[in-house]
Amino acid sequence: MVFITKFARIGVQAARQLRAAPLVTSQWRSFHITSMLDKERRYTDKHEWVELLDANKAIVGISSYAQEALGDVVFAQLPEPGTDLSQDDECGALESVKAASEVYSPVSGKVTEKNAEVEDTPALVNSSCYDKGWLFKVDLKNPTEYEKLMTEEQYSAFVKSSGEH
Amino acid sequence: MCVRRPLVTVVRAGRHSYASGLKLQQLLAKSTQNLGEFAEFRNYIVLQEHDPVYTIGIRSKSYTKDDEDRLRKLGAEFHRTDRGGLITFHGPGQLVAYPILHLRQFKPSIRWYVAALERTVIETCRQLGIPDATTTQDTGIWVGDHKICAIGVHGSRYVTTHGIGLNCCTDLKWFEHIIPCGIEGKGVTSLTKELGRHIGIPEASTAFLSSFASIFDCRVAEQADAVARDTN
Repeated sequence: MVFITKFARIGVQAARQLRAAPLVTSQWRSFHITSMLDKERRYTDKHEWVELLDANKAIVGISSYAQEALGDVVFAQLPEPGTDLSQDDECGALESVKAASEVYSPVSGKVTEKNAEVEDTPALVNSSCYDKGWLFKVDLKNPTEYEKLMTEEQYSAFVKSSGEH
Repeated sequence: MCVRRPLVTVVRAGRHSYASGLKLQQLLAKSTQNLGEFAEFRNYIVLQEHDPVYTIGIRSKSYTKDDEDRLRKLGAEFHRTDRGGLITFHGPGQLVAYPILHLRQFKPSIRWYVAALERTVIETCRQLGIPDATTTQDTGIWVGDHKICAIGVHGSRYVTTHGIGLNCCTDLKWFEHIIPCGIEGKGVTSLTKELGRHIGIPEASTAFLSSFASIFDCRVAEQADAVARDTN
């Protein structure tokens, strides 16, 4: 999301190490996630997540780390259905008290729906960032973009390494 | 690893229109920066004073064209901006400071940043002789039931823009035409009003910069204002 970090490479390296020698935390995490999801969620280094609804339809939101860093969200400005987005485009903003932060599109495609419930109740982004707090749905233009994003494991290693710098 | 305190360059833009301020901000935050490498990002703090202007943040839908016209008729400009927060006024006698920081050189959280900015203003007030300025559940910095400073910021890929408006010797009548930051039933104040002596922008700027350097744990350096002059 808003906070791009330039440590993706380190994150990926750390993720490789994690895979080589699984830690207790990663086991817990994968258990936690697989119990909730059939489909895999992927992440960007700006802390957005994408989940596939079918082969070329996806749903987008921000990660728990991002909502935590923002604080209480009081306003959501989301992209209108029909908007064509390229990967990394600024496509909206989330306002937490006194600060407006940009949202970037993790994938290219056409917006098919925005989450009107989040516009009415922005706090859903904090209370339910992976479920009720999703931001918009998009018809993917280039599904390989999704494949190149970080997996859950890579992302958690990335967040961990970002925090240490 | 050697930890260096980040450097922040002070740009004194003087008095100019809000639009010039935005242009300068844009120039410093984006056009002249290498955004790829956060360690190379040059941090700035712009100190300025605006011609009378009402500005509103991204929640601007509640302000109609009629509201806009009504405020313009008072002789002020009106701008819808991309910052957080609701309506406020900037004008002569108010110190407007825009820290343009790459938060990865500080702490990568906008929530931390806003809190640090609030602490900076509270410390500024304390240095000038107001010991009890504080934050409340409402936005901004308050002395009792009176707001002395407005805060509204924007974050984009860790880079901050917009900032604070601290009333030094502002004509507070301008605030009678709006509900500052959307908070009803409370008033506004200034450093001059609270202290019973004239506090101008230069005096407040000195206190603000020293507070900023200590709260953000950074070095603050003056710069020849060539950049500022170019955009005016």
